[in-house]
Amino acid sequence: MTITVSQVTKRFGSFLALDAVDLHVRSGELLALLGPSGSGKTTLLRILGGLDRADTGSITFFGEEALGLTPRDRQVGFVFQHYSLFRHMTVHDNVAFGLDVRPRKDRLTRAEISEKVTDLLELVQLAPLADRYPAQLSGGQRQRVALARALAIEPKVLLLDEPFGALDAKVRKELRRWLRRLHDEMHITSVFVTHDQEEALELADRVVVMNSGRVEQVGTPGEVYDQPASPFVYDFLGNVNRFECMIRNGEARLSGLSLTVPATAIAPGPAVVFVRPHDVELVPCDGDAGAGLPRARVRHIFSVGPTARVELDIEGHPLEAVMDQDRLRSLNVHSGNWYAVRLTRPRLFGAGTRELP
Amino acid sequence: MLSKAAPRHAERPVLRDPLWVRWSLTALALGFLALFVLLPLLTVFAEALRQGFAPYFEALAEPDALSAIRLTLLVAAIAVPANLAFGVAAAWAITKFEFSGKSFLITLIDLPFSVSPVISGMVYVLLFGLHGWFGPWLRAHDLQVVFAVPGLVLATMFVTFPFVARELIPLMQSQGTEEEEAAASLGAGGWQIFWRVTLPNIRWGLLYGVLLCNARAMGEFGAVSVVSGHIRGQTNTMPLHVEILYNEYNFVAAFAVASLLALLALVTLAAKSVLEWRWGEDVSGRGH
Amino acid sequence: MSGAGANVCNRVSLASALTVLQERAQRGATRENRGMHVRYSVLPGFGPTLGLTLTWLSLIVLLPLAALAIHAAGLGWSGFWHEVLTPRVLAAFRVSFTTAFAAALINLVFGLLVAWVLVRYRFPGQRLVDALVDLPFALPTAVAGIALSSLYATNGWIGAILAGWGIKVAFTPLGIVMALTFVGLPFVVRTVEPVLQDLPAEEEEAAMSLGASRWQTFSRVILPALAPALLTGFALAFARGLGEYGSVIFIAGNMPGISEIVPLLIIIKLEQFNYHGATAIGTMMLMLSFVLLLVINLLQSWMRTRHHAQ
Repeated sequence: MTITVSQVTKRFGSFLALDAVDLHVRSGELLALLGPSGSGKTTLLRILGGLDRADTGSITFFGEEALGLTPRDRQVGFVFQHYSLFRHMTVHDNVAFGLDVRPRKDRLTRAEISEKVTDLLELVQLAPLADRYPAQLSGGQRQRVALARALAIEPKVLLLDEPFGALDAKVRKELRRWLRRLHDEMHITSVFVTHDQEEALELADRVVVMNSGRVEQVGTPGEVYDQPASPFVYDFLGNVNRFECMIRNGEARLSGLSLTVPATAIAPGPAVVFVRPHDVELVPCDGDAGAGLPRARVRHIFSVGPTARVELDIEGHPLEAVMDQDRLRSLNVHSGNWYAVRLTRPRLFGAGTRELP
Repeated sequence: MLSKAAPRHAERPVLRDPLWVRWSLTALALGFLALFVLLPLLTVFAEALRQGFAPYFEALAEPDALSAIRLTLLVAAIAVPANLAFGVAAAWAITKFEFSGKSFLITLIDLPFSVSPVISGMVYVLLFGLHGWFGPWLRAHDLQVVFAVPGLVLATMFVTFPFVARELIPLMQSQGTEEEEAAASLGAGGWQIFWRVTLPNIRWGLLYGVLLCNARAMGEFGAVSVVSGHIRGQTNTMPLHVEILYNEYNFVAAFAVASLLALLALVTLAAKSVLEWRWGEDVSGRGH
Repeated sequence: MSGAGANVCNRVSLASALTVLQERAQRGATRENRGMHVRYSVLPGFGPTLGLTLTWLSLIVLLPLAALAIHAAGLGWSGFWHEVLTPRVLAAFRVSFTTAFAAALINLVFGLLVAWVLVRYRFPGQRLVDALVDLPFALPTAVAGIALSSLYATNGWIGAILAGWGIKVAFTPLGIVMALTFVGLPFVVRTVEPVLQDLPAEEEEAAMSLGASRWQTFSRVILPALAPALLTGFALAFARGLGEYGSVIFIAGNMPGISEIVPLLIIIKLEQFNYHGATAIGTMMLMLSFVLLLVINLLQSWMRTRHHAQ
């Protein structure tokens, strides 16, 4: 099942929720829509599910135009953010609902439905809780019921809106792994919405980064993290040091700093430099290696777990570096010490690139 | 349900009023309620049974009383289901969809609450009375609305118009549209969504609205008084019959019929309390 | 289904004032929302339900009220005032206003007291007392009327005691105040109760930790927070009192100029087939109700913002 979204635009009053979005969902993949709140990711998901309607543009499911189709005809399974379980129905009845409401001629017999529901509850490991009501379940259990309910109608596409948003950190991690395994077994084309970058990067085959109703970048987790296509993606994924700079004669001079980085493939003028904290290298000031490099003073060290985060002051500007504990020890990093700084993989974006929000 | 959000003030030691303050305020409040609410209620039954049970039941078995009871039941049997259907439709349109002019529409639905009952009756006289807009036409076709049962039904509908909608709108608003959307995404059609998802969620609030609507429909006095014409045995509902008996100084009979209406009020209140107590959130929409 | 909805909507055109809403209903019915007045929803039934709502509303409520307004317009400016500015009508308005105001005032004080006791204190039988507060809503007004009348008559339980002190209640304006206090009683209690319940205890504790006495905490922290709810309850009770008929006429004595209320005067005019007079007075009443409704709506939105700000 492939889904193609082309030039989809959606407005709520004067608010532009989706701005000419193009997207291609591949058959069998697990795709994440990642972005801050208000970026349009949930709106896009609801339009895919037929719960909302695009103002312009088209959506095809497997080559067939889908915008005019009702949710029933699209064969889409939708898992809602707050689960939206029917609170007056048992777990069993919730899962059976989609099968129960089919037109009589397509409906399975009562026994067949019951059997199928039991299978699904086995799948989501909730078989013993079939007679409970949603209010008697934990958040993680409700989420799995919602998933079983969506799977019951044998959807061709599974859409999940912030599937782990309302769960606490530990349950979220477990459920994430479980969903990944489930997807690997069933290979059902799935799209999920999240604002949590870690979740998107860990779980998805491909990630769609959205911002202000537009798609900023589509790629594998590795691609979007290592080769961000825009300043927004760079800023949104992971911690980053950001400097204004001016490009002249093939090098970028950071504003207010005596620091330059090479800039050959970019037009002269104002630009922005991004450097990941783990790409900030500290060099002892006394040796030859530090010669000609700018100096920075250590302000704070946050040393918990295998890595340490070092906050530096470079000519009045804050700079963050991350290194492992061994490196921290061998460099003998302490508050107040001075180091030479090398930016190993700076990334430049010229003025023509899309601005940050 | 509220205690979770804000801990009971009574449990905070600093906020506990001194015992004498608590006692005197409670006594004052209970005294006020006893004087203004309990005493009138007791009077109804005391006056009705002043001469014992025999005259009481005789008064109720009287043909005019029986016809008043029948008429009251008939009027309620038409007005309440009509307003039930209306209320559910209005609440569905208002709470499940976004459209402009919504709050204005809610104000219009609430309008009958702020109109004097006398005016609620009078408008129908102006429309359907002998000198009203449709009066001559009705007369030519030998139809009667005012001073007849249709007038009573119309006036009762006007007065009880907002009850069901008003109970349902806040309740359904608090429940949102997510469950209905989930049902739609699972392939359910309109009626299936309503009967299987929405109705079970609103049934107690709906019942509550219907009870209130019914109590008012059976007890309405001012509006039906204007359109009834007070024809004994024909266009007298129970409250109107009470008035006639009272004005004829037939106090025992008047209070006997009144006691039935008072019982209806008590049953309504009891049912309301039970509903609120057992299914508080599902009735009022608070706490969601 | 959508076709039926459009049909229902077409009949609404009776009420021209609502054509805008009606168009939107049709648009919803045909599932075209070009104008974006109706946000698309996957849920069905918008056209039919809104159509039914508007039709019913127009037939039962708006059309009759429009009939009153048009009748009144037919009287002309001077004809209208000629009917209203008579000593008897003015006296009736005076009686209605003063008694409704007095009753609302009593309910303001005692309603706050009852709400306070019900929310803040615990005592046996509380649930029963709480249910009793709603009795004036549930008890038919005619029943309340005859009960109060015989209670306050000079040979009644309370009337006999008061008569001993030389106070006469039944068949005087004081009797009207008693009846209107009864019917207006739940309004203040039921508007103040939830606000009082949601008032954060921390706020009061903060006031007391800053050295305020219990009374200062009440008058400077609690009372201002309750003010919008109190005023709303007062206005609701006052509006109800102005229009009340059933509970009043039995106890009032109905002496023109002294204890004759406006709703009764309307009925008297109707019984005399003086439709002009009834229309003019009724229109005055209706306009007053609308003004009060507006005030109440404003108070309620004030209450909401106040409430959420906390």
